[in-house]
Amino acid sequence: MALEKREQRPVAEKGEHIIARHLIEDENIKEEKNLVIDGVDVSGRWNTFVLSRVNSEFDRSFFQEIKKTVVGSRINRCWQCGMCTASCTVTPLYRRFNPRAFIYMMQLGNLKELKKYIDVAWRCVGCYKCSQRCPKQVNPAEMMEALALVVKKYFPEEIATKLKLDEEVKKIYEDMIIGHGRLDLAKLHTSAMQKSGRIKELLGKIERDAILKMAKDGRAFSILRLGKPHNWGKSKEAIEKYLKNINTIENSGTGGLNG
Amino acid sequence: MAENILVIGGGPAGLNAAVMLSELGVNVALVERDSFLGGNPKKFKYKFLFPDMQPADNVIGELIKKAEAGGSIKVYYSSEVSDFKENGKKFDVTLKSADGSETKTFDSVIVATGFEHFDPARDAKYSYQLFDDVIDIKDLERMMGENNFVRPSNGKPPKKVAFILCVGSRDRHVGNQYCSRVCCTVSVKQAIEMREHFPDCEAYIFYMDIRTYGFFEDLYWQAMEEHDVQIVKGRIAEITSGPDNTVICKGEDTLLRGPFEIPFDMVVLASGMEGGPQSPEMSSKLGIELDEHGFLKPENITLSPFKSSKAGIFLAGACTGPKAISDSITEGAAAAMNAYTYAVKNR
Repeated sequence: MALEKREQRPVAEKGEHIIARHLIEDENIKEEKNLVIDGVDVSGRWNTFVLSRVNSEFDRSFFQEIKKTVVGSRINRCWQCGMCTASCTVTPLYRRFNPRAFIYMMQLGNLKELKKYIDVAWRCVGCYKCSQRCPKQVNPAEMMEALALVVKKYFPEEIATKLKLDEEVKKIYEDMIIGHGRLDLAKLHTSAMQKSGRIKELLGKIERDAILKMAKDGRAFSILRLGKPHNWGKSKEAIEKYLKNINTIENSGTGGLNG
Repeated sequence: MAENILVIGGGPAGLNAAVMLSELGVNVALVERDSFLGGNPKKFKYKFLFPDMQPADNVIGELIKKAEAGGSIKVYYSSEVSDFKENGKKFDVTLKSADGSETKTFDSVIVATGFEHFDPARDAKYSYQLFDDVIDIKDLERMMGENNFVRPSNGKPPKKVAFILCVGSRDRHVGNQYCSRVCCTVSVKQAIEMREHFPDCEAYIFYMDIRTYGFFEDLYWQAMEEHDVQIVKGRIAEITSGPDNTVICKGEDTLLRGPFEIPFDMVVLASGMEGGPQSPEMSSKLGIELDEHGFLKPENITLSPFKSSKAGIFLAGACTGPKAISDSITEGAAAAMNAYTYAVKNR
């Protein structure tokens, strides 16, 4: 029988010793890996705390803030029937994208819960099926815009980390629109894949064949022949102004949404 | 010779029945256990009535005025039916009051003994009577009627108020499985009144379903869309005392699936309606049937909701089940018509 001797003492995962660990959410466990109190080593499991998940506050200031915006002015109407989520284009793809629940979290100012959904809160594609169906005319599609603005304002750190790629792709998109006046999907796709370090996936057989075919029949170069749209100068100015305005709102402090 | 008809109960239904009958020239004996007419709306000083927020006095006061105007209505205040005998197709009834008793023969009888508000103290989880700031809708209605809407504990206006629906209704634990029909609308109405008078005070309604049926729905929409009343889905399982003289409502947010414990300045319990002790009393004295919910049982709930199980005895108002004031008044008129027909037929 061979004995295996470990070089190092294995580092326990956070909360690993809790028997019903799977029932407790990560963020509700507080545990320091290395902690010495008065010379006593209380590292790891010796200092574990499990926080209560009871919600103990309804914060209506958040609701008031949303209500003051143009896109979120009808937040007080929502009665949570779920028609928006039922008709949503995105929900079948991202189960965690739930317009009804997002509106409810905004109504009760439940930022703690909202924070868990930052990565999906942006995924509204603006098809407006929900707004067409909503029995109370809440206009959930625009409510998702309000949500996006507010999430950006309250969770800048998470946006910078979790949504880094989204922000970068957005920059590419904006540059493309302002620079050329046209959206080149192929280029957008390639740039996005490049940013996420998945460029190799673009060079599979199917892609290579498609590129070859497009080069052969001339489609690949047609974009170069296309000029800028008619009267582009004026449109460009308007778009730039809009983008500047949006950035001002997003980067402002409290009350910035009032505009 | 004019007919003699007995009306038991001087609430909205009984009053309207008596007034309609007197207009037909019938001699009406109106028996009321309290020393005043008007029933529960008067007793608990209802101020405004849903759905149009008209002063309760417009309705109840008007009926009382008509009934007390004399004519062929004789009101027996602080009285009760002490003895009841069938006499052929007629009824020999003894009416007892502090002044003595009187036996008369009546051609037909209308029972309009109404309802009792559920006593929330019977359901310990709501801590009613344990904390001063836990009140119920009838207490709030009275406070508003007296223009004295403040926290009972310290006399200051509240900043955050919770309304809890389905207290004493739709709950096997307290023995009432039925829906009391009006408490949703009353709570929504009170939340609107509160927000109108105190815009700084936040109003939350904890609900399982909001049953503002028919056009009462307008009030519900108005509460949310014009007065920012927030509805939260989940029934409250426990009320405890919190820091800074608050009361904590403990429940589950069933839409987001998570427990909450929220401190409030004041909690208003939407206590439901019950048949009260008067319904079984009428049932045994008059020999009419009682239903499984503790209300008087109509002969046919759809075809003849105003007839009791015994010919010649008619039912009106909330004694047959939870009802809005407008429905009680309608039923008073329906019962009056039927009682009159019966009396004329058996003259």
